[in-house]
Amino acid sequence: MDCHAAMRGRGGGFSYSHAAVIGSRCGQPVGCRRAAASTAMELLSDQGLRLDGRRPDELRNIRCKIGVFSQADGSAYIEQGNTKVLATVYGPHQPRGQAKNKFLFDEALVNCQYSMAVFSTGERKRRPRGDRKSQEMSIHLRQALEAAIRTELYPRSQIDIYVEVLQADGGNYCACVNAATLALVDAGVGLREYAVACSASLANGEIPLVDVSHLEESTGGPNLTVAALPISGQVALMEMSQRFHCDHLPKVLERALEGCKDIHRILDEAVRKHVEETGRASGWGQVDRAGIVL
Amino acid sequence: MPVDNRRIQGPEVSFPYCLFQQSDGRNKTNSNPSNLLTVRKDGRALLDHRKIYMKTGVVSQAKGSAYVELSNTKVICSVFDPREIPNRVEYSQHGELYCVLKYAPFSCKTRRAHQQDSEEKELSLNLKRALEPAVCRHEFPNFQVDIYVLVLENDGGCLAAAITCAGLALADAHVPMYDLVTAASLGVTGDTMVMDPIEEEERLCSQDVKEGQNHGLVTVALMGAHTQITQVWQTGSMTSTCVSDALSRLIQLCEETYPIAQRCLVKSVVNTISKKSTS
Amino acid sequence: MAGVLLSEAEKTFILHGVQSDLRNDGRSKQDYRPMELELDIVTHANGSARVRLANTDILVGVKTEIDVPKPEKPDEGKIEFFVDCSANATPEFEGKGGEDLATEISNFLSTSFNSGLSFDLKSLCILKEIQCWKLYVDILILECGGNLFDAVSLAVKAALHNTMVPRVETMAMDGGNVDLQLSGDPYDCWRLDIKNVPCLVTLTKIGEHLIVDPTAEEENCSMASLVLAVTEDGRINSLSKTSVGSFHPHTLTEGLKVGTEVGIRLNKALKEALEKEEKRLQADKPERSGFLK
Repeated sequence: MDCHAAMRGRGGGFSYSHAAVIGSRCGQPVGCRRAAASTAMELLSDQGLRLDGRRPDELRNIRCKIGVFSQADGSAYIEQGNTKVLATVYGPHQPRGQAKNKFLFDEALVNCQYSMAVFSTGERKRRPRGDRKSQEMSIHLRQALEAAIRTELYPRSQIDIYVEVLQADGGNYCACVNAATLALVDAGVGLREYAVACSASLANGEIPLVDVSHLEESTGGPNLTVAALPISGQVALMEMSQRFHCDHLPKVLERALEGCKDIHRILDEAVRKHVEETGRASGWGQVDRAGIVL
Repeated sequence: MPVDNRRIQGPEVSFPYCLFQQSDGRNKTNSNPSNLLTVRKDGRALLDHRKIYMKTGVVSQAKGSAYVELSNTKVICSVFDPREIPNRVEYSQHGELYCVLKYAPFSCKTRRAHQQDSEEKELSLNLKRALEPAVCRHEFPNFQVDIYVLVLENDGGCLAAAITCAGLALADAHVPMYDLVTAASLGVTGDTMVMDPIEEEERLCSQDVKEGQNHGLVTVALMGAHTQITQVWQTGSMTSTCVSDALSRLIQLCEETYPIAQRCLVKSVVNTISKKSTS
Repeated sequence: MAGVLLSEAEKTFILHGVQSDLRNDGRSKQDYRPMELELDIVTHANGSARVRLANTDILVGVKTEIDVPKPEKPDEGKIEFFVDCSANATPEFEGKGGEDLATEISNFLSTSFNSGLSFDLKSLCILKEIQCWKLYVDILILECGGNLFDAVSLAVKAALHNTMVPRVETMAMDGGNVDLQLSGDPYDCWRLDIKNVPCLVTLTKIGEHLIVDPTAEEENCSMASLVLAVTEDGRINSLSKTSVGSFHPHTLTEGLKVGTEVGIRLNKALKEALEKEEKRLQADKPERSGFLK
């Protein structure tokens, strides 16, 4: 893990303590363990398939679209299975609103807001934003995206990133990071590389699962969320809930990072296709007679 | 909805007792609404309005204030000095009006909560929209004038009384204005139009009628000297001819109220001058 | 909305265009911009619709829940509107920035649904004084390019049309408690009657003329707007002025006439669009839609 990223994001150590707190809060270790064991059995069938029929290392179907809105500087929409997220980027622009006096002299201020449509979950939500969970999500988003954005290119300015979860079906944070990255690309903001997030879980106490869905989240297995910069292999943010033995961490992390790499490939392809489509008028992406891509 | 935990709240689930005793009272109006409307409770003809009483300078602490009484509807309004718009980072070219309309807890049949409910918020917005065109807002950029209206007793035509009252209070507070605003309300049920309805009549007008018939309430605010409608608010369901008919009647009533408001202001000016000359 | 800044010259240009009945995008005064309508796109809601009116993008989800009727209206269900101005539409809406606009829209909607003639709340009653359906109509504003009121109302009407309320199979009184048994078949539902649900028509005054469906730039040029809630048969359910200016009585009566005509046309167009969309959904393999169209 790169030192720089570890400082920016939440390091693994913090995640451990977080998990420990949750674990100890249960208070009934025996019952907990029994419940965990029985649900872990269900996570993976005897044939090695998951609840929704995926293999342990299989991602959900990803569909994305770049540039959905015309007024925003950048926008993107992503579907990861049934999780649907919309992201827009405004900026870089002059700092405004409450951030007017907080701007930084040597880098851009990244401002994130996470909100969920009130009809996005099975039970109706009372408020779309402003609750603790969304505030925490906003902060985590900023941490992951700040690691990817070349903030030093835009001193004294502000970049607004707004994500809206239209439908929630597990892995909301991951979909939000991925959508925000696409929107940043669409806005033309300078990035070190893509920030990609993926989650992983552990089934049967030994087999790591990638890209956890809501059903799998709610059956109560552990959930490790990683936001990474997949080309350089840096981790920007890591968060875990529930618990598993320390020995399992490397392989679960490895699975999550693999997921990040896979998602990166899909996103990159989508971006290339989008650029090719928008740039076709000026002849981009077409092959000339010598076989060289222009 | 934020809960006000400084005040003692009543039990959460409680209903006003009049809901249960109303059966005889409501039946009377339901069975023959025509009866209620041919002979109105206060003996007015259908298109007569109530007597109106206005007074300015009733709250000594406020910059300007007014009191308006439409027989049992009693409204008091105070206006405070312009002050810088709080929590605003961007400079605004025009001054702003900050309107709060509140029913006193004892003003209606059922007790009103201390916090503004959605009905009061809606009325406040309507009040703001009615006053905005009349105020020379360019004279105080980046400042706001606070207007607080308290309904002391509600017997129909609250919004109309509040608008007239706030218009007078603004003038009393020496806020620069293009014109005075006066307002009036009207109820429609079936083929009958009731000018300046009392609360019972308002309720009758909001009740459902047969399909194809008109019902509802209309409130209009008018700047008399410029004949400009500053706000119009209609609820219920009616045909467009019915709405325009109601509008023309209301405009007439607003024009009738206008000189009364003018006289009230002249009186307050005369009083101030005479007070100054004696001292 | 989103930081529209116009110079005096640009405003005059728009004004002159309106005077000669040829607006910037080639429309006449009473034309709407092209609209897109989609139904049934939110799986977690009982009914949903998305309306895109040029640059204005609205997503509406309707959820049904069981509630206790109000004591003063024991035989009626409830309907609640909630507008969320997403910061995606404009950075000004970040945090609590869009709340004033949101309450204005939701208040206006509830006023126009208030009359028993426009929406039959009695049909939502399950058991008098004890249980009723409550409809949560949640409106999400994703992008605003002018004329929010009209687009919101169209989306709301479409979503209500799309709403499936589960059928109650049996009811058993167990002491003071009611035991409801809903039909096990998720497709055993009934639809709401939206025949008399109004559409909102915004008339914006530019110069001496009233125009419908203003763009964000046109809204910027105008001082006063009038919003009417018009039903299919041309009745007005609610009427209000929404921005700072004022109207001459003549303009207002003219506005009423124009607004009613436009409203009838709008309702008719929506009805046709809804039928078309229903047919598309009923076809064996509906085309992939949503933002990925």
